[in-house]
Amino acid sequence: MTPDPHDRRSLRTDFCGLAFDTPLVLLSGCVGFGEEYTRIEGFSNRDAGAICLKGTTLHPRLGNDPPRVRETPSGMLNSIGLQNPGARAVIDEILPRLDFSETRFIANLSGSTVEEYADLARCFDDSPIDAIEINISCPNVRAGGVAFGNDPEMSQRVVEVCRKETSKPLIIKLSPNQTDIASNARGCIEAGADALAVVNTFMGMAIDVESRKPLLGAGQGGLSGPAIKPMALLKVHQVYRVAKPHGIPIIGQGGIVSAEDALEFMIAGASAVGIGTALFYDPLVCVRINEGLVDYLKRHRIDGIDRIVGTLESKDR
Amino acid sequence: MSAKIDRQHRDSIAVEDCEIIANEAWPGNQWRLRLRSSTIAARALPGSFVHLRCDPELPMRRPMSLMRAEAGVIEMLYKEVGHGTRLLAGKKPGENLNLIGPIGRGFTPVPERPFNLLIGGGVGIPPIFFFAHHLQRNPPPGSDADSILVLLGSELPFPFATRPAQTPVPGAVQDPTLIDGAAMRDLDEKAIASRLASRSGFEGCHFGHVGDLARLWLDGLDRTWRDRVAIHACGPLAMLEACVALAHQYDLPCRISLEESMACAVGGCAGCTVRIRKGTGVTMQRVCVDGPVFDGRCVVFQSELRNEDASPTNSSPLVDKTL
Ligand SMILES: Cc1cc2nc3c(=O)[nH]c(=O)nc-3n(C[C@H](O)[C@H](O)[C@H](O)COP(=O)(O)OP(=O)(O)OC[C@H]3O[C@@H](n4cnc5c(N)ncnc54)[C@H](O)[C@@H]3O)c2cc1C
Ligand SMILES: Cc1cc2nc3c(=O)[nH]c(=O)nc-3n(C[C@H](O)[C@H](O)[C@H](O)COP(=O)(O)O)c2cc1C
Ligand code: FES
Repeated sequence: MTPDPHDRRSLRTDFCGLAFDTPLVLLSGCVGFGEEYTRIEGFSNRDAGAICLKGTTLHPRLGNDPPRVRETPSGMLNSIGLQNPGARAVIDEILPRLDFSETRFIANLSGSTVEEYADLARCFDDSPIDAIEINISCPNVRAGGVAFGNDPEMSQRVVEVCRKETSKPLIIKLSPNQTDIASNARGCIEAGADALAVVNTFMGMAIDVESRKPLLGAGQGGLSGPAIKPMALLKVHQVYRVAKPHGIPIIGQGGIVSAEDALEFMIAGASAVGIGTALFYDPLVCVRINEGLVDYLKRHRIDGIDRIVGTLESKDR
Repeated sequence: MSAKIDRQHRDSIAVEDCEIIANEAWPGNQWRLRLRSSTIAARALPGSFVHLRCDPELPMRRPMSLMRAEAGVIEMLYKEVGHGTRLLAGKKPGENLNLIGPIGRGFTPVPERPFNLLIGGGVGIPPIFFFAHHLQRNPPPGSDADSILVLLGSELPFPFATRPAQTPVPGAVQDPTLIDGAAMRDLDEKAIASRLASRSGFEGCHFGHVGDLARLWLDGLDRTWRDRVAIHACGPLAMLEACVALAHQYDLPCRISLEESMACAVGGCAGCTVRIRKGTGVTMQRVCVDGPVFDGRCVVFQSELRNEDASPTNSSPLVDKTL
């Protein structure tokens, strides 16, 4: 199933010094701790440049009450609530089981206080993980998460303390649920971010009109999938303007299901693109997107995928 | 180190385009769907399910149990309950559906329990039917040809042919329905004992819940007989809770198949987790790949949760290390 690696040479890219075989990044919370999708025949971790592991907290969390997922027009709501076995178990029991020759693995960390973020960054700095993604945008927890991500000062403090704890590539995952994502991005860059992930889910809800109760156990959740794509794309476009002068790369994400979607994000300024919800519908979507990207590069006689990053032409030219 | 890592799960679930052979309407908005399948049909086990695209218009798949899997054909039974199943009901023979499967840990016999009492309710009947056939073909140690009893309940007309039972119910039977009530024809023809329950007053059916019919049967058994029995159940939550209560009362093992909303169905999203007791703690397990069949006596039902303060942040959990 994995296409001839020679065909895919044009997709190789460098992301914060990490060699990605393709610009596709499997997104946090959609692929467990990296082994789950390998159950699918024809799926390979090698089809992704990197895999973000499930959001991890200092202590284990059981997550929210069911139902936790709900289909909505062209997308879905989730309110998982960061269910995870805690940092220690991830480092001691899960990381040793991963095959680092297959792809790059990125930890996704969530704290409920600034100190917890620092502790987490320190724990994972002393682990074989390839990079650290700081989630300051989880909509499904009461403390920390999106509450930090929507507050530029808090965001900056979280980045500062994590930067002090790790020399690994530090990716900051931004919330779309804030008024000025670009200035928040600037603050994170100044505080020491190596890369930005744009964007996490949009907060939303759905109601059962018969019972007049929320359809998600937690009442509200995060919206993902094609429904958010145009909004996520605009956020990438806005963040790219402030990130570009600093040479800070972006993992663009939100509703990508095809090579064309991925190209839109890359043209808007993303160096890598995230695949999350699309996997639920088509577990073999990465193979398809990689093929589409290779084909696009051939048709446009471009020798490397990096060359299309941030190549948006202005309308009036 | 990598040699020691268990990667048996890899490549266990297939992605397959399956042609519809028949999509047959039964009363009560119930449908029986037969599909051509090579890989999924060959790998399916009782209690496993598929995650299918009802229609390209929908962004998510729907989980559906397998009722039968043999000779390149799989069969499902579903009820039209919402948008997805409504679109599915409109599909015609010759069209293709995209499936991933088979998924999950299904029903297996319990060691030292040669007699299997299978209880199915509504659209929970498919895996029970599948398991009954499987047990007959692969009898567990100590089982005889008549070591299976299938009890099925439905408030809607049963979505299969019935007939006056010819296969007798094993054990000391006194209740008239258990003696000569109606049976599911497909099972009766194969000499697998089955009986039906409904509160809709269908002919030959026990008037009441299927759990009550199970109790009548268990009540008629002596202690040594009962100690050979294990319960396996699939159906609505209230029925499953009743089955677990029976299992507690008679001290029987009880395996139940659960449903939960699903996104990925491969263990990746934690969308489908349920609380399972383990020692003195609770673990979160995924219905899709850790289940859908669980030890019923360890399942923490939502009704129990409502009675205690079980805010996830307050408990000190034992969490499943696979997620
Ligand atoms: C392991 C498993 C096996 C199942 N086997 C069968 C079967 O054999 N026959 C059958 O008729 N039904 C079965 N179901 C339930 C079936 O998946 C739902 O009835 C179906 O998803 C409803 O979709 P809808 O769009 O018509 O309904 P809607 O209510 O419009 O669905 C909205 C959303 O909620 C989800 N949802 C609604 N009800 C359920 C449910 N009970 N379980 C999980 N998700 C749900 C849907 O998937 C969808 O994403 C099974 C569920 C699970 C988890
Ligand atoms: C079920 C589910 C769980 C998620 N869990 C996390 C998480 O733990 N940490 C995180 O940073 N993002 C999480 N996300 C957000 C995704 O990583 C991603 O940013 C978002 O879904 C947008 O991309 P998509 O539309 O391609 O899915 C989750 C998303 C989904 C659908
Ligand atoms: S549905 Fe995603 S983990 Fe079960």
